Amino acid sequence: MFVCGYHFPASMGNDVSMDKVIEKVNGEAGDLSGISSIEVTGETAKGEIVEKFTVTPGSFLFTALADYYNKSDVPEKDGFKMIYYTNKYQISEISKAVDGEEEKALCRKLDDMNLYRLKIA
Amino acid sequence: MAALRQIAFYGKGGIGKSTTSQNTLAAMCHYYGQKILIVGCDPKADSTRLILHEKAQSTIMQLASEAGTVEDLELEDVCKPGAGEFNPEDETITDGYIMCTESGGPEPGVGCAGRGVITAINFLEEEGAYDDELDFVSYDVLGDVVCGGFAMPIREGKAQEIYIVMSGEMMAMYAANNISKGILKYANTGGVRLAGLICNARMTDREYDLAKNLATQIGTQMIHFVPRSNHVQRAELRRMTVVEFAPNSEQAMEYRELARKIIANDLKVIPTPLEMDDLEALLMEFGLEEEVEVEAIGKRAEEA
Repeated sequence: MFVCGYHFPASMGNDVSMDKVIEKVNGEAGDLSGISSIEVTGETAKGEIVEKFTVTPGSFLFTALADYYNKSDVPEKDGFKMIYYTNKYQISEISKAVDGEEEKALCRKLDDMNLYRLKIA
Repeated sequence: MAALRQIAFYGKGGIGKSTTSQNTLAAMCHYYGQKILIVGCDPKADSTRLILHEKAQSTIMQLASEAGTVEDLELEDVCKPGAGEFNPEDETITDGYIMCTESGGPEPGVGCAGRGVITAINFLEEEGAYDDELDFVSYDVLGDVVCGGFAMPIREGKAQEIYIVMSGEMMAMYAANNISKGILKYANTGGVRLAGLICNARMTDREYDLAKNLATQIGTQMIHFVPRSNHVQRAELRRMTVVEFAPNSEQAMEYRELARKIIANDLKVIPTPLEMDDLEALLMEFGLEEEVEVEAIGKRAEEA
């Protein structure tokens, strides 16, 4: 199955543990020391930006978003890349379970129906 | 070369199954060069119109009726190359291509629609439509598998991996669970497997959670959450897929990601469908329905 864009073989079943996903994302993300923050925007279907926040290093949320940004080849728009809905919900689900209160509050925003974009700084 | 994969998109009527399947197959061809044959198994015969840029393709049943019998038809009569970049002779964008055929069915209210599906698949096999060059054959099938005719692609072991298009609405989830029951029934004899749920989102509250939990409980994965987008309708009005109409749009990227996952997917399971009570409990847990007291059943809102 697919979590955070990564393929987990069928032998791991249909409910891959969060620990395995975190291990995979951390391992694949590599050195992120050059990234000081991630700017995130959320917009309605009409393109109106209704959310804007920053994610700082030190959480799974940061690592997963930075990894997504670095790996994804979706077209950039002013340096921002859209994040797939599936990925944002999966990242949010794990972050809410393992990160702190600050990230949990951000994830509740990600759980809405808006389109989110990322830009690393 | 890789073995031919026979996949099917099932889902309740009106869920966006034909739109989702055509946009996904178009992405498999456009971005990944896949060679595909679509076998439309819906009496509406709308499983190929976006690929062909046509209103509706003449169906095998229509053409057989005009010619006398299905034996009077040639493969070229019923199997058409996709338009533009999906045509095998157009290699400007992709080496892949899409061939299209529609089984069709009887007039509304007359006869069994499943007969068209059975006749069409047998004809295509006998005429060599499933050639060695193809990567995928894709069946687009209406319904909730109550009708044995529509279950034919899985009953006869034609479709090996099933993707169920659903949403977070109750009837879509009910149909997804029911289709799983159909797969379970034929899994041991025909080798068919459930390969995933595709959530064609209605953008209702907690839809991702609901779809993911249903998938987990029936033993499969929610392979991709496809958001709602006006690009889909704009493309449809032009009888095009989103990947042709707006190849760099966010929606095209979503279909591209779903295409990538289907090509790489190896999670194919015998499903474990839910009992109706468990399905209702799931809907209540994720807030789609509120628990109703026994005394309130059958009462109007103002009475309850």
